[in-house]
Amino acid sequence: MIAKDHLPFISVIIPTHNRRASLERTLRALGRQSYPFDLMEVVVVADGCQDDTSEMLRAYAGPFRLCILTQPQQGAATARNYGAATAGGSIFIFIDDDVEPVPRFVEAHVSAHRTGKGLVGMGNLPVELACRTDFFSLLLRSWWANQFQEMRKPSHRFLYRNLFSGNFSLEADLFRKVGGFDPSIPRREDYELGMRLMKADAKFMFLPNAVGYHHEVADAKGNLTRAYQEGRGDILLGFRHPELRPTFNLSRFQEVSNFRSRIAQVLAFKYNALGDAIASLLCRLLVVLERLRLRSLWQRIFQGLRTYWYLRGVKDELRTRMGLIKYLQEGPAHSQPDDVEIDLDLSQGLELAEHRLDEERPAGARISYEHNVIGHLPPQVGAERLKGAHLRAVLATDLAWPFLRTLIMKQAVEPLGPKFNIPTIFRR
Amino acid sequence: MATAVIDIDFEQIPEQLSGLHKYTKALVLVRLRGRPIGQSTFTITDGRICGTELRDRLLNIGAMPYWEQYLHDYLAWDPAHETGFVPPTATIAICTRDRPEDLARCLQVISRLPDTGQEVLVIDNCPSTDATYDIVAGQQGVRYVREDRPGLNNARNRALRESSHEIIAFVDDDAAPDPGWLAALLQNFEDPLVYCVTGLTMPLELETDAQEMHERWSPFGRGYKRRVFDGVHVNPLAVGQVGAGANMAIRRRVLAELGPFDEALDAGTITRSGGDTEMFTRILINGFRIVYEPKALCWHRHRRTWKELRQMFYGHGVGVYAFLTRALFIQGELDSPKIAWDWFRYDQLPLLVRSLFGRPSSRPLDLILAELRGCLAGPWAYRTSRKNSGRIQR
Repeated sequence: MIAKDHLPFISVIIPTHNRRASLERTLRALGRQSYPFDLMEVVVVADGCQDDTSEMLRAYAGPFRLCILTQPQQGAATARNYGAATAGGSIFIFIDDDVEPVPRFVEAHVSAHRTGKGLVGMGNLPVELACRTDFFSLLLRSWWANQFQEMRKPSHRFLYRNLFSGNFSLEADLFRKVGGFDPSIPRREDYELGMRLMKADAKFMFLPNAVGYHHEVADAKGNLTRAYQEGRGDILLGFRHPELRPTFNLSRFQEVSNFRSRIAQVLAFKYNALGDAIASLLCRLLVVLERLRLRSLWQRIFQGLRTYWYLRGVKDELRTRMGLIKYLQEGPAHSQPDDVEIDLDLSQGLELAEHRLDEERPAGARISYEHNVIGHLPPQVGAERLKGAHLRAVLATDLAWPFLRTLIMKQAVEPLGPKFNIPTIFRR
Repeated sequence: MATAVIDIDFEQIPEQLSGLHKYTKALVLVRLRGRPIGQSTFTITDGRICGTELRDRLLNIGAMPYWEQYLHDYLAWDPAHETGFVPPTATIAICTRDRPEDLARCLQVISRLPDTGQEVLVIDNCPSTDATYDIVAGQQGVRYVREDRPGLNNARNRALRESSHEIIAFVDDDAAPDPGWLAALLQNFEDPLVYCVTGLTMPLELETDAQEMHERWSPFGRGYKRRVFDGVHVNPLAVGQVGAGANMAIRRRVLAELGPFDEALDAGTITRSGGDTEMFTRILINGFRIVYEPKALCWHRHRRTWKELRQMFYGHGVGVYAFLTRALFIQGELDSPKIAWDWFRYDQLPLLVRSLFGRPSSRPLDLILAELRGCLAGPWAYRTSRKNSGRIQR
């Protein structure tokens, strides 16, 4: 339990659509929080629910204030905005209706916000499969686990696509300042908000203890529909933020010359009636392959189908392959006017260099040691500005050999005994 | 003919190695700050290894790791400890059966491991005398549990049930873990999807032909690079590179989530081996991960006689085919026959041909035939063994 003085009043905002049982589990978990209940409210936005969600909500008696809103079905982004407009907290925590928070969940989010202003707290969202072991579920859980494993590292440079709307928090003021979610970009509304938060220089932070178990129920077939929507969503996202276009996997589609993706391209853009028929046959084949436990073939076909449906989404937005090529070429100049790059000299010590990065938060840096160039950390579209914690990891990995060579050349390292001749690779 | 096993620190390479008249060859393990980074085999002439040759080869092995380590020290940056993960406490479990001298030696080594609150558990499997009990009774802080149903997998299951901690590290009674062994295994459990970590196993001695052949044709080591096996990206049935049950740590929750080790498999049953392999497969099939961590070093004393070696090859054949039979008929893995075929086509058959044509340095024919005989016996052995154990498992 944390000291109650000066704790903020917070709002947990949950959009929901026809998932009464799952939502009830979320509410029950929220009723077990370590955070003082008189300092939190839960805002549920029922988005076109046709099941008994409303009855359940009206009958629900939790230890916290529950605010129930309803709207005709308009999607999760609109629902979240509606919830936020009504919410009274100074911090918003957004979670989805299939998330089950641990007891210290709210506390972990709030503690992070007490360390500074302008923060976006990314919660931990491990997938909970409850005994399901179908190929798709396992693939999904592995993907999510990798995302959080990466974000957990202090040296991780956050990207706009690290924002997952299923579990994150930010100040109400910041949410209003950037204008909330943009409902016109379905399936990519979280990345899109992530991008505007990046542009507003919000501080992204991963909160390993803000755990919400993600009771994911999607299956392979549903995921293919999702791939189609993501294709459309990415194109719309690229209209809204043209500088993101080169960061899409799509931007390399012409270079990708493997046979399967060529076929997927031709089918998606030219013969999509035939393509859809083949895709639906292959989708049925997936079920058979799964029953025969033929994993690797299943995976190859599934990835091929995902590529196809993603491109189908792209096609439905841009009409032709030429349209896509034009769309990508019209991508903008890469750097923005306020992209400051600094010259960072490491000869005064690493601490000083880190301190400078933390103070100035430049978009990029040219790293040198006295007058020897070590390397360049260019400004990265959709990524946070550089900070001190990024430096050592980059020097130990991407810039390891040039950095080591410089150290040896400058004899900044202690004199080495004759036992350790400097390998030729470093003497170049 | 014997091979000396020598442990050398890269930062203290001796001028020369002498006094090795007993040996014709030497297997050198190279370490950097205690971490194994490579190995090399030398010819011994007049009981010595020439200093220049030793240095040249060790520099080849160690230069890159040395500079990498140097850089990490300069930066005070350690990829393994970046997130500040605090490893969990573990139980060390030794499954043993009527090998009191080996066990006594093993316990002595384990008592010298750094104390991180670990529990030591001896599972005495179906003993014929009280010798094991007497040895454990004389040891401070070692818990004795007797498991009367014979079989290594029964003993392993018992260890999982008896353990007071979430992670159980298994050691063979004829093994000797290195001081950093346990910590190196545990560091890998940060990722919640990692259900098992295996380590590097090196020969404690290579005094007899049988031991040399064991290390040459069936080494336990899997190289000096850490690897993560993710069940959704590798073929879960091809687990040859994962490691071995002689040096592994697993989460206790496998018992509840994936079921116990298959009692019809491994030493003490007619299937003779395959119990660890089967568990690796089950972990991967369920989408979890296994890490091979070469920093977790354990020394293993291979069996000394040729007869035991031949039996081991035979047992390996039986175990693998028993496990593949289980995969096909119990788990419905249609890939299983293909794994068997690939093993035969790309490994066993070429070895057999080389050996039949008497090519130099080919695997002894009797070992190859023993393994093949084992393979033929495997499926039937699994069927019989299941009947014997008389329990249906997942």
